[in-house]
Amino acid sequence: MVNEARNFIVSSSPHIKDEGTISKAMRDVFIALIPVTLVAIYFFRLYAVFFIAVCLVTAILTELLFRNLMNRKARPGDWSALLTGLFVALLFPASTPWWQGVLATFLAVGVAKELVGGLGWNRFNPALFGRVALILLAPLFAFVYSWFEPLNVYFGPIDVMTQATPLAMMKMGLEMPPLGQLFLAFPGGAMSEVSPLAILIGAAYLLYKKHLSWRIPLSILATVVVLTLISGGNPLYHLVTGGLLLGSFFMATDWVTSPFTEKGKIIFGVAIGILIVIFRIGFSITEGVAYSILIMNFFVPYIERKTSRSHFGKIKAVPVPMANQK
Amino acid sequence: MEVKKFTGGISIPHYKSFTEHKEIKEASLPGELIIPLLQHTGAPNEPLVKVGDKVKAGQKIGETDKFVSAPIHASLSGTVTAIEPRSYLTGQMVNSIVIAVDEKQDELELSDVDVETVTKEEVVNAIKEAGIVGMGGAAFPTAVKLSPPPDKEIDALIINGCECEPFLTCDHRLMLEKPEELLRGIELIMKMLSVDKAYLCIEDNKDDAIEAVRQKNTNPQIVLLRMPTKYPQGSEKHLVKAALDREIPSGGLPFDVGAIIQNVGTCVAIYEAVRYKKPLIERVVTVTGQNLNDPQNLMVKIGTPIGHLIEECGGIVKEPAKVVIGGPMTGKAQQNLGVPVVKGTTGVIVLPPDMAIEDMEYYDCVRCCKCVEHCPMLLYPNQLSIFCEAKMIEEADEWNALDCIECGICAYVCPSKRPIVQLIQRTKPLIREMQSKK
Repeated sequence: MVNEARNFIVSSSPHIKDEGTISKAMRDVFIALIPVTLVAIYFFRLYAVFFIAVCLVTAILTELLFRNLMNRKARPGDWSALLTGLFVALLFPASTPWWQGVLATFLAVGVAKELVGGLGWNRFNPALFGRVALILLAPLFAFVYSWFEPLNVYFGPIDVMTQATPLAMMKMGLEMPPLGQLFLAFPGGAMSEVSPLAILIGAAYLLYKKHLSWRIPLSILATVVVLTLISGGNPLYHLVTGGLLLGSFFMATDWVTSPFTEKGKIIFGVAIGILIVIFRIGFSITEGVAYSILIMNFFVPYIERKTSRSHFGKIKAVPVPMANQK
Repeated sequence: MEVKKFTGGISIPHYKSFTEHKEIKEASLPGELIIPLLQHTGAPNEPLVKVGDKVKAGQKIGETDKFVSAPIHASLSGTVTAIEPRSYLTGQMVNSIVIAVDEKQDELELSDVDVETVTKEEVVNAIKEAGIVGMGGAAFPTAVKLSPPPDKEIDALIINGCECEPFLTCDHRLMLEKPEELLRGIELIMKMLSVDKAYLCIEDNKDDAIEAVRQKNTNPQIVLLRMPTKYPQGSEKHLVKAALDREIPSGGLPFDVGAIIQNVGTCVAIYEAVRYKKPLIERVVTVTGQNLNDPQNLMVKIGTPIGHLIEECGGIVKEPAKVVIGGPMTGKAQQNLGVPVVKGTTGVIVLPPDMAIEDMEYYDCVRCCKCVEHCPMLLYPNQLSIFCEAKMIEEADEWNALDCIECGICAYVCPSKRPIVQLIQRTKPLIREMQSKK
């Protein structure tokens, strides 16, 4: 048998591989979003279930459509489109007309992701892109809104749905609900804004699974706290309101659209923090988190170029000590 | 003594339990030896024998007058049956001397030199004559490595006993079973280089070997360093960094920072070459893997086909299998069991079907940064893989592709299963070509 050439499997090294895969990572993000989703369903009942379902289905169909159009093969077990769909859904209030969810998801999965080359090539966070596109398109909807009105679904009254968001209350100078309640759960606004606690539980899971870099969320939150303190506001209210926590832990940390350099992650986070405070305090815009992250997404390649580390051996050789000095 | 850490690297499963407690066993004689004329870094040897010649064990059968080279010897007595290209572990064909092994073998003729009184010149000559090359895998001629340019001052000898590749235990067993020979070998090298400090570096997953060497060591100039178990601790650059806290400059060699590195197997071979005038005709090979019936550490004659070793270890359990020469992170998968063990062969690993991964389908980079986090050269493998895949040679050079040591960590951790190392390997010659045109 010595010279016998048999068919052995030949491939390049390394011959052992870590078990981590993209679909496992995506699945972990899904698991991390379970608390937020459950809270949304608890407060908004069928409205939440229906809106989330619409976005998920749209995400799958959009991906299928674009993959066929662009002749691109799918990854087996790729959860990324579904994940984008879920993120889009959670960025809206549960009472949003379903066709807006369809449009936002279509733009997120189709335009922001598939059209530019698919997962890995997108420059902007797809879910935020879809959400912000709808905000910017809102003036147009004024005309079409009435056409779609008969299509709206109605699952009965839910009181909390029309409640003002804490961030809006802050702007209007209304008396704020107690911090503890805001932290635990305070329905109003987007489904993802209801419970900071639920978001932190999810984020803790992602940190534990090592999918999250702490550098980005920490630098965003620290910047927001410092700047609101300087401007005389109460940073705690800023931390628990609006999309700040979801944005910091789940959106700004998106692998594809954040810098891959360590210093870059901190610069990215600090810049997002500064923008958020400018939007919130300077312009009173409640969607500041979404705008800030998208703006900084654009600068990622420049940040990376300026902050790349020096590699091993780049330093000049140190003078060798004499043999007898040791 | 305090051991510094290097940035990056990763802890990976060891898979060493198959053989780490098994004593080194003499392998049975093969029917045929295939001794490649080129099995080191440098110039190939010219054959000193012709077809039909009778050769004795230990007889020199190939040599060249080129400086960077090492002669080859017949590992057993027999008859030369062919001098022809045979498949080599890299997949290429290499001109080799084929010997039909005699059934009756005479005892190898050995001298007994007093190592206390031996001169520097005698040590160099013995190493050169014995055909010793680096036995950790790189196979660089040792006599050349131990003759650094006169303008480089060497103040430290580092002995590499890390054996950071999973599965391999040949160095581990050698340190455990031949600590005396190892220490005497180290002293000979120190004498030859006129250095007064040697650092013997062993990873902390081999505490029994550390203990064995510590008990035998009476020389205060030989310092034992217990290294953290982290891949690629045994890489030249990272070992110098960890042991001496000196960083070898990009494109440089250990002697640029005053260090010379030798593998523990090489030290033992040097001792035997000086003391007994024994040529390098055998070495320890770890024959292992989940897919092998009886994994062993074997003392193998150079030129033995790996198929013979696999049979000696009870054969392959299940096919399809993957047979790797070297460690699983950097070794080469083999198509043909007729490939011989050479001086730099550390292990033969038979991987089971579920680990016998074929070139996998891979996906786009999602910039998860796991490779960036673990790259011991502090490169950006994610960027490199994209540039190399797209044949963007200038960009790959800008992002320092040439500094990649091909340790395999990036491809190991990549969740998109991108063959990052392979992509970089393929691009390096293109970068050199581009640079030479400039």
